[in-house]
Order: sequence, then structure tokens, then C-alpha cells
Amino acid sequence: MAGAPGKPRGRSRLALAAVLVAALAAALGCHGKKAQQPKVIVIGLDGLDFTLTGQLMAEGKLPNLSKIAQRGFFQALGTAVPPQSPVAWSNFITGMDAGGHGIYDFIHRDAKTMVPYLSTSRVDETTRFFRIGKYQFPLNGGKTRLLRQGTPFWEVLAQHGIDTAVVRMPANFPPSGKADKEISGMGTPDLLGTPGTFQFYTTELFKYYGKEITGGEVHEVVVENDQVQDKIYGPTNPYLAPIEGQKPERLAEPFTVYLDPHRDAVKLVLADQERLLEKGEWSDWLTIDFKLAPTQHLTGIARFYLKQVRPELELYVTPINLDPLAPAQPISHPEDFAAELAERTGRYYTKEMPEDTKALNAGIFTPEEFLHQAELATEPQIVQLQQMLDDYRQGLLFFYFGDTDQVAHMMWRAMDPAHPAYNAAQDGPFAEVIPKLYQKFDRVLGYVLEHAPPDALVLVMSDHGFAPFRRAVNLNSWLRDNGYLATLDPTRRATSGFFDNFNWAKTKAYALGLNGLYINLAGREKDGIVPASEREALMKELSAKLLALTDTKNGERAITKVYPREEVYQDRGHLEIGPDLVVGFARTWRTSNESALAGLAAEVFSDNTAAWSGDHCMDHETVPGVLFGTRKLARPAASLKDLAASILVELGVQEPFPPRAPSAP
Amino acid sequence: MATLNSLLRQLFDLLLSPFAGLPSVVPVTAISVVVGVAMLWVYKKTSNQQKIEDVKQQIFASVFEIRLFNDNLPAIFRAQGDIFRRIPRYLSLSFVPLAWMLLPMVLLIAQLQFHYGYQGLQPGQPVLLKATLKPGASLPQDAAGALDVALSAPEGLKVEAGPVWVPALREVSWRLAAERPGSYQLTLKAGSESLTKTAVSSEKNLRRSPIRVGGALLDQLLYPAEDPIPTTSPFAEVKLDYPEAEVNLLGWHTHWLIAFFVLSLVAAFALKGWMGVEL
Repeated sequence: MAGAPGKPRGRSRLALAAVLVAALAAALGCHGKKAQQPKVIVIGLDGLDFTLTGQLMAEGKLPNLSKIAQRGFFQALGTAVPPQSPVAWSNFITGMDAGGHGIYDFIHRDAKTMVPYLSTSRVDETTRFFRIGKYQFPLNGGKTRLLRQGTPFWEVLAQHGIDTAVVRMPANFPPSGKADKEISGMGTPDLLGTPGTFQFYTTELFKYYGKEITGGEVHEVVVENDQVQDKIYGPTNPYLAPIEGQKPERLAEPFTVYLDPHRDAVKLVLADQERLLEKGEWSDWLTIDFKLAPTQHLTGIARFYLKQVRPELELYVTPINLDPLAPAQPISHPEDFAAELAERTGRYYTKEMPEDTKALNAGIFTPEEFLHQAELATEPQIVQLQQMLDDYRQGLLFFYFGDTDQVAHMMWRAMDPAHPAYNAAQDGPFAEVIPKLYQKFDRVLGYVLEHAPPDALVLVMSDHGFAPFRRAVNLNSWLRDNGYLATLDPTRRATSGFFDNFNWAKTKAYALGLNGLYINLAGREKDGIVPASEREALMKELSAKLLALTDTKNGERAITKVYPREEVYQDRGHLEIGPDLVVGFARTWRTSNESALAGLAAEVFSDNTAAWSGDHCMDHETVPGVLFGTRKLARPAASLKDLAASILVELGVQEPFPPRAPSAP
Repeated sequence: MATLNSLLRQLFDLLLSPFAGLPSVVPVTAISVVVGVAMLWVYKKTSNQQKIEDVKQQIFASVFEIRLFNDNLPAIFRAQGDIFRRIPRYLSLSFVPLAWMLLPMVLLIAQLQFHYGYQGLQPGQPVLLKATLKPGASLPQDAAGALDVALSAPEGLKVEAGPVWVPALREVSWRLAAERPGSYQLTLKAGSESLTKTAVSSEKNLRRSPIRVGGALLDQLLYPAEDPIPTTSPFAEVKLDYPEAEVNLLGWHTHWLIAFFVLSLVAAFALKGWMGVEL
């Protein structure tokens, strides 16, 4: 080689030049992107119902969706089993069913400990600390992991040099980091690590005493000298070493409310921030800066709503959201994308599903207040969509709205006079809320059609439809009453949840989540008693009895399908996480809230009297979603599972999706 | 003091008007250089340059002594003692020029602060206006017992909420928002007394007064951007919460005053040789 110096030197120069060009391209952020790319814009409208959408289109109320349907197509889109949003969106993202992506419900359980956990993400526990006095500093853990398995379809697009922006995709917290721009949606917690915990301050003592309020905290306050002094509460301080026998100390930030002695208005002072609020007004976002330890802070944001000043002071505080300008946890990729959006459109809700359904359920909000709050949460999202459309040139843009789901959950009753809690005087005025909401998003879609490049394919999709939720079924109570579930204290027939009062030594099956039924299997469950050899027979027995279950109120069948997981799921890899049986409720029936949290009720059936009056966690065939497209798809999609592959084809990627072919059952 | 402030306001408004539409770093840099030169000139004229040079030479000699005799501990200690003895002498020689510069600098900084220290109100962005009562004063009430206090805003500026009366703070406040850019005058009425307050919604570097105060000397020295509140008014001060501004100095976002000190010192040290000044 040393004897032929000329050519190798030439080649090495060429190689050096190639390396320099590649380095320059990398430095300039080219990353092998295709210069000319197809264009696909996907608008996800959670819970947009196929039947209602078709009906409103027929009435001429959704002109833009009708326009899309005329130009391209409109069809029902098969949803997931079970038809729950995290499951359904994971089907869409990965092209696999729950057997492959491992998300079966909002809630799963760790069979080894029987501790329930949120299905989509988990924070690694800190096990090692460095202690100085009262403080402890974590040496490991604390990292949030996305539990959804499989390859998101935008990762495949990125590998093929296609631009990708994925905004608020559910079941994508923390963001996968595989799209060019991502911001997390459903599954993103508030600063307390919960799906959203509001705080409500009232001078009306005992009004909420003893009432079960989920998703919020009520603090009783006292007015002294026209002032109220209290604290906003954060999570427990991870830097404070636990003291034996004492509850962990929660972070708290004091605030003062000064009441005008003459008018229904207050001045709110929180740290160095001051706001004036008249009765019925919302503040903008205030920063809440919790001090963890010297030099360590935890920052979130919240809005205040002055519900009332007299005769009782009532002040609502939104769940403390991660501040998009400086999030305490990763909510976007790149990390500064969340801040970039906030700088352009103002701060916004970062927690999943910002519409505060819990506050309405608890009676803190009136329906009007709930609808106003939902609008406040959605408006910045619409502005963000407009900004994203301004920036959009090519590739994939996915943008998600959850308002259509959350408002439908809370306001469906207004369209359903057969609902047990329907009150014509109270609910009648809201009968048009959901149709008007559909019309609002139709206008948003009009904007999209107007501002999308003319050669872009615009798809509008939903993950499932909707149905009335009139009657609740407590599966755990049914299991108990039929001898499959034993209790430690038979006189305690009602429990709030988390397996309280369950006698595992005599329990053969239990329910957890909105559609899941588990066998208490020996060797799998912590205190399992059913031998593996008896599992299948027990499942068959339970299925037959559940399918024959009739509602005590009207004699109608409450359950239309019961699916053994081995039969209903085609994909494999994470089948063992899921429930043994997936229960498909008939339209208008659903699991009771207590049963979903592994609790018991005195009766199996009960009227659903909560504001949460519409639902979709039923038999998946009763609640299909929708799919619209401005042109016919080269590869049609019948269900959510197929849609990502169709989008890949539209974007010029022909390879099979999911990339790893699921193994046969 | 009020008359002096009025004259200074007019003078600075006039001098700074050519810079109003430029990024604030431009006028701040220009002013810093001019002030650096002016400080050098004052320093030269009001200090004993020969004595300053002598004492600096003595300090340098001691530093040199330490380096030269670094194996001789008693000599090092003696040299250090000489340095410590001469530093107060050096500082005392700087005192006279600093005293000459103090008052003009306070007046200058007070004027500049209200041109470059605050951003204009952003249209649509709410802001609080807070009026604090004087000790012993009370708000007038009408026949029905309601507070007889009102704020009127010209077109383009909207009063969104208030008045909110907080007895514990002796404060009445309103929430305002500019609807469009402009320079506005608010009128605050309490019974028969009325009081005005400026409000500026503009991206330009215009004079903005975040607080209007009474006629006390210190108040007028520190807050010269508006005329003092008349003594007959029940209010001690009226505040408008302008957001604070920053100067972008080559990507370094900082308070204008920090940029001003850095740039004027750089200018002074860069030009001292040319102007023949011993610092």
C-alpha cells in the first residue's frame, strides 16, 4: 500500500470531503430528510361518535366534515378491545392490539404485589439516598418511563426521512423522542403526579365533609379581617427524609385572599404575584414555586377561579400543571418544544385531559362553569394548531383534541331523556351542547382545510364513539354474590376500592379497571389459589354466567361479549399483563367506578346518577370511531390498528407496519 | 425638586427621542460611552492626578517587591502591609471625583430607568393599578355608604375589574388592559379629588412611570417620571405594574443598569490613556 501513494491519497481526500459534507449536513440539522415529501395532516378528535356525526352531517350541521366526506370518504373506524382511549390510541400508534403494546386499561395491577398502577407510565422508585440532617438526596430512580411497548409509526417515518410533528398524542408520556417535534397528551400527570387534582377553598364548613371527592381536595378556610390565608399544596417533598410515625410533609405555598368588604371581588396574592378577581372570573396562569431544599425548587402553574365571595367564599384552583416554560418532567421533544409553543401562544394546560370533569362530578362546578373551563383549556390548543399549520410544510402533522371526549362524558345526559338522572329542567338547556361542540370542531376543521397545502391529505379520526351510560355494574359484587370472590368481613358489603376487604385465600376471580376481569391464579397473583389447570374452565364458566347476566331493573342483558385474552388479541409479547377476560358491556351499561378501582358495592346494579353520563367502555362493536379523509386511502383502514400502516403508505413508506410482524396466537 | 424633575424629563425625552424606535441596547451603549467619557473628564478635573499616580506607583512597587523577594518572608509581610496602608489612601483620593459625580449620576440613572427599565403594557395583557391611601386618610363614601372612588380610562385602555378595596393594605386597585398601543392618561377620582396617572402601551423606548409618588425629596429623587401627587389627594402613591425590561447585549439579556455600568467602565478604561487620565 505504501508503494502506491497517489490514488489512496485521492480517495482519502474524497472520503474526508464526504465526512465533512456529512458533518456539515448533520450540523445543519439535515439528518437525511427527504427534500420533497408527501403531506398528511391527521386531526384526532377523541370520542367523536360515528352515529352522532353522521346524524349531524345529515342535518347539514357539519359542513366541513361533509366537504371532506364528499371529496374523499367517511367511514366507521373499528376501535380497540376494550374501547378505552389509552388502549385505542396505542393500537393506532403501534399498529398492534393490547397483546402487543401492553396497554389494556387505564389501570393495571402488579400481580406480585397486587398494587394497582396507571397503565401508561411509571416513575422508577428511588431506593438509594444521601442524607444530610433532615434532607435526603436521591441517588437513583425518579425517571418516568413510558410503558407502552411497540414502535410508534412516526419512528418509522423518521427513519425514512419524513418530517414528523406529533402534538398531544395520548399514551405517549413521556414523549417517545422519535418524532421531530412531540408534546405529550393523555397520560401526562399534574405536578402532584396524579391525572389532575384540583384544590377548592371554601368558608362553608362541613358542606363537603364526608363526601367522597375524587380528583380534588376541599380545604375549609376562615375569613378574618376580610382576609383568608391558606396554602396551595403540592406533592410530598422528596428531599425531606421520612420520619417514622409521621405522615410525609407535603410541599405548600402560602397565599392570601383579600376580600373587598363592599363588593364581590378579591385581591389574590401568591408570592410576588397579585391578581384581582371579580366573582365568576378566572385568573391567568400563576407560577407556584415550591421550595424543596436549599437551591432546589419545584415549579408548576395554576389558574384560580373565584366562584363566589358571599355568603361563602369559594375559590377553585386548577390542578397544578407542569409549567411548559420550564417543565419539571419531560413533556416534549425536543425539550424546549413545549416552551416554544408557550412563548408563541401563552401558557397552557400540560396535564392530560385538562377539562375538569372531577370538579363537575363533585358539584364544585356547575355545568356552565365546567363548559367554560373546558373552553379555556381548549382555546390555546386551537391557537397552537393554527401555529403548527403555519409552520407545516410537508411530512406528518398529528394534532389531538380531547374536548370532544370529556364534554361528551359529562353532558351526554342532556341528550338522553331516558337517563335515570335526567332532569328536564336542569338538563334540557344543555341538550345542544354536544352537537354545538361537534360544530365548533367542524369549524376548526374548516380552518385546517383552508390552511393545509392543497396537495395534503387531511385525515380526521376518533379512537371510539360514545353511548349513554345509564346503569352501572359492579363486577366485584357480582363475583362475590356468585361465590367467586370472598370477603374478610361479610357485613362490610361496600368498600371504596383497592381490594379492601378481599379475602384472597378464598377468592377465585376479581375485577379491576373498566373492562378487566382477572383469575386469582396460583403462581401468578400474590395470593393466587386457582391452579393453572383450572383457569380455562373457570374462564368459560364466568363467561357463560356473565353473558346471561340481566339487569334487575329491566331484565335486559347487561353484557354482550366476554373475550378471553388469548382469543381476542392477535398480537403477542405482553399478553401476560392483561386481564384474563375482557368484559364487553351492552350499550348503556358500564362497570361502576367502585368496581373499576377493585371495590365492592351492596348491589350489583345501580343507576348512574353522576354527571359522568356518557361513556364508551362497553362492547367495542357498539362504539366505533370515525375516519374521514380528503381522498381515498391507497391502503384502506378498517380499524385503528390498520390506520398507521395506511398513513405510512400515504407518506411513501411501503414497508409492513408494525415492523416486527406479530406472532400468531 | 419637582421643577427640576420636570425640566429633566423634558430634556431626556428630547435627547432620547431619536433612539425611541431602536433596540434599547443601542441607546444604552451610546449613553454608556458618553457617560464613560464624561466620568473620565470629571475625574481628571476634580482629582489630584499627581497624588493618584504616586500612590499607585507605591502600590505597584510593593507588589514588585513581593515578587522579587518571594523567599524573604519578613519582606513580603512588610510589602503587604504597605499595600494595605496605601489602598485607603488611593480610595480617599477617588472620593472627591466620586462625590462630584454622585448627584448627576443619580439624576441620570433615575431618568434612564424609566426609559429602559420597563416594557410598555402589552395589548390584551392585564395589569394592576394600585392606589395606596396616606396614613390617616380615608376613602370618601357616597350617601348609600358605597366607596366614592372611580377610575376612568381613555379609549384604547380598558378597566377590566375593580375597584377592589383592601382595608388591610389601605389600597384600592383595578385591573386594566390596553386594547391597542398608545400613551394614555388615567383619571382616578376619590370624592371631589382627582388624580391622573400615565399609562404607556408601546414597544418603543418611551418614558414609563410605574409609580407616581408624593412630593417628599427622596421620593422625587427616585421616582421623577411624573409630577408629584398633590398634597390634597388622599393617596400616597399610585402604582402601575409595568413588566420589567431587559437589554439584549450580544445575546446576554440583562437589566439595562448592569449593561450601563459594564459598558461605561469599559469605555472609561479604553479611553483613559487617550484622555490622559490616571484612574
